[in-house]
Amino acid sequence: MLRTRKTLWLLSLLAILILALAACAPAAEQVGEPAAEQPAQEEAAPAQEAKEEAPAEEAKPEEASMEPIKIGALAPLSAPGAVVGGEAMRDAMNIAADEINAAGGILGRPMELIIVDTEGLPEKGTAVAEKLINQDGVVAIGGGYHSSVGVAVKEVTHDNHVPIVFAEPWNDTITSVMYPEVFRIAPLNSEVSAVDVKFIIWLRDVAGADINKVVLLTENTDYGIPAAEETTRLLGEADIDAVTFSVDIGTQDFSGIIERVKAEEPDMIMVLATGEASYNFEQQAADAGIGPQDVPMLCNQVSLVSDAFWTNVPDGNYCFVRRVGLPVQLYNDVAKNFLAQYKERTGKEAAESYALEAYDSIKIIAQAIEEAGSTDADAIIEALENIEYTGALGTITFPINSKNPPDKAGVDPKWWHQFPEPAITIVQYQEEGQDSNDTTVVFPETYATGDPIIVGQE
Amino acid sequence: MENPAIFWRVTLWILFWGAVGGVVTPRVYARKDKDISQAGLAGAAIGAALGPIGLIPLWIRTPKLTGRLIVLAGLMVIGIFVAAFALADPNNLCVANGGFVVSQLTNGIVIGIIYGLMALGLTLIFSILGVVSFAHGEFYMIGGMVAYFLSVSPFYKELRKSAEALAENTGGILAFVNYVFPPLILLLSACIVTFVIGVIFERLFLREMNQGKVERPGEYAILVTFGLAFFLQYFTQALTSANPVKAQRFWDFPRVKIPEESGDILKMTAGNITVLREISIPNPRFTAAVIAVVMLGILMWFLYRTWTGKALRAVSQDRQAAAVTGINPDNMNTLAFGMGAMLAGLSGASLVQVFSWLPQVGIPAAARSFVIIVLGGMGSLPGAFIGGLIVGLVEAAGTGCIPDTTRAAAYIPAYGMIILTLVLLLKPTGLFGREL
Repeated sequence: MLRTRKTLWLLSLLAILILALAACAPAAEQVGEPAAEQPAQEEAAPAQEAKEEAPAEEAKPEEASMEPIKIGALAPLSAPGAVVGGEAMRDAMNIAADEINAAGGILGRPMELIIVDTEGLPEKGTAVAEKLINQDGVVAIGGGYHSSVGVAVKEVTHDNHVPIVFAEPWNDTITSVMYPEVFRIAPLNSEVSAVDVKFIIWLRDVAGADINKVVLLTENTDYGIPAAEETTRLLGEADIDAVTFSVDIGTQDFSGIIERVKAEEPDMIMVLATGEASYNFEQQAADAGIGPQDVPMLCNQVSLVSDAFWTNVPDGNYCFVRRVGLPVQLYNDVAKNFLAQYKERTGKEAAESYALEAYDSIKIIAQAIEEAGSTDADAIIEALENIEYTGALGTITFPINSKNPPDKAGVDPKWWHQFPEPAITIVQYQEEGQDSNDTTVVFPETYATGDPIIVGQE
Repeated sequence: MENPAIFWRVTLWILFWGAVGGVVTPRVYARKDKDISQAGLAGAAIGAALGPIGLIPLWIRTPKLTGRLIVLAGLMVIGIFVAAFALADPNNLCVANGGFVVSQLTNGIVIGIIYGLMALGLTLIFSILGVVSFAHGEFYMIGGMVAYFLSVSPFYKELRKSAEALAENTGGILAFVNYVFPPLILLLSACIVTFVIGVIFERLFLREMNQGKVERPGEYAILVTFGLAFFLQYFTQALTSANPVKAQRFWDFPRVKIPEESGDILKMTAGNITVLREISIPNPRFTAAVIAVVMLGILMWFLYRTWTGKALRAVSQDRQAAAVTGINPDNMNTLAFGMGAMLAGLSGASLVQVFSWLPQVGIPAAARSFVIIVLGGMGSLPGAFIGGLIVGLVEAAGTGCIPDTTRAAAYIPAYGMIILTLVLLLKPTGLFGREL
């Protein structure tokens, strides 16, 4: 009797927990569900009615024609990935899917966006990409945040001959291997490093900062290591010493490293670690007296997520942050429209660069399928090579392609299927609690909205 | 490193003679029918410190191997290693900059104390229940989450205001209320939540195992605590999202300078304390370490001075004998699991002002705790604390002294593992573990 009561009690408790989990997991559902929801249902409604009226055999071709076109999407939605970035990308890609379905879908069929969690880990990224291709049957993949995941996933898409448009991974080798299936709208790592170094040189030569030694804190990944190496090389050419400290992705405790950074007496610090590790370093450095208010610091791009940044780095004022994409003042209509929807969906005042990229990565795939008139991989690839897509980042093309290969164009293979002109600016938080939308654009001068505040200068 | 040859030659010498001592000494002692429990460790330490000069007399005379002898030999090994490092790399910060060394040591001690508190909970559970809780990191995470969400709640903000008003109205007499009371509420809340979850879990899932109703208790315990870990992690993620959060520091330090003009001896700002101009400890980390020390004191008092604490220790030593004296081992199991979970939760609550906090934040912390309790000796409370300190110090030394800056910090997870491997090779029961 006692056992039965206990079993019943246990079962009841289990049922309550499962219900609680189900009730508390809207975000998880959102990831995997078709983002089309309302618009798709509206569009599909006439077809549904027709299907109900028609005999069963006749309904089959109708059903097949209304089968959704599945597009996969990658985002880091749990640690050690950069979750703040992943969630922003997820929201942006869902907006893109909603827009596509509201406009009638792709080739007259609804689009189903399947977003998967890479956790920022290459092995997980490979597994979820395999799942997208072989289980879900996606015709193309967008999104992607971490370079290490991009480097691994490109092999999966190449092996399975499925086109992919990477939104945020920067590692040069993603495109330099010249796989026909791989396209990228994010900037190249080496190009970002070049901008970073130009900014540092500008700070020294034009803004008057005394910068002779830069400490780089980088993560041990396919993003961090090449970025640090290229930055060090370029700084060396400008007679600026660079000392690199590498850490594992997801590192929490930086106390030992910070003492060494202090001992180096740097004139500037660059954070090439993504996600929570960057927040941990920036605040712990501030606690130790070498934070953004003590030494000029180029913080990681996740610092553009203002709410998370100020929660985790309350002493982060005066951080310089690299922003990919045009400043808000120069947004085109697509970007303005996206920002309005993004604000409504997330409550955020600004859209991060990777949100804009993620949005464009899905919309450009949809346009390519539409132009190809087919979901065949070769047709989509050809359409992407010829595409001229106007999105939130501007007008995107891939000028180095199979018809104009790098050797013929006389450029490095890294430009293969690469959007050549993503705008990169450096902004600075100049007030505590400031929204990233309101930050001062300090570099390049063409886009500058104010002067930099250079801390720690005597 | 200027003279790497010196360093690597000495290291190879230490490793070679350490290995010879560790392998041969137990055999020599066994052949002479002597106690071999410490022979491996002592032989390795003496071999590494003195080479054949120490080992040959040891093997001939086979003296009693005391803890003091082992510690002495161990200190000599460390001394030789440090001297070799100093000769090989005289410009290294760890050699040339005394202030840096003291700062790194302080960092190591502070973080080691915090590691120790975390590991104490795990070892307490193991010593009483014989279960390694794979959900320990999740209790740590929940402690932090409870403290964070309470700290941003209107209730807590009101509480802080009231405490400030009370401190002001009493003209500073009750100023400590402003400092102590609000953070105490956060810590107590985290303790209560994690303790309750721990108790419920033990009653539901572990009691039957301890009553012998589960066929393969070892495997069952691993699986069920793993299950709890996944459940807590993803349940929390569903509730709070996977975005990182961080609590503001619990309190500001008063502004103090000794002497008044320069602050050369002691300088306190709201967020930092600097001693002798060299040792700098950020407020949140200092606070977490103080909480850990206080909690350790309370725990020791509880375990050694109260009836319930003595009962817990009795159960850990001999379950059946304890039952004969009127102690209910089942209740002690429940209490131990709850307390272990609570200690993890308290560590989390004290560190949520130091690190960004995520549902996955407990994974590396738990992994480190496993290393610490095996290093210190499974089930040994002093072992957990000393193990925590050793790991903290080794991590600080590795991060601070390895010349290659691209590797020094990247190897942080490996430092504890190296020490663990050495200890397991030489003393499989851990530093303070019970001899089998």
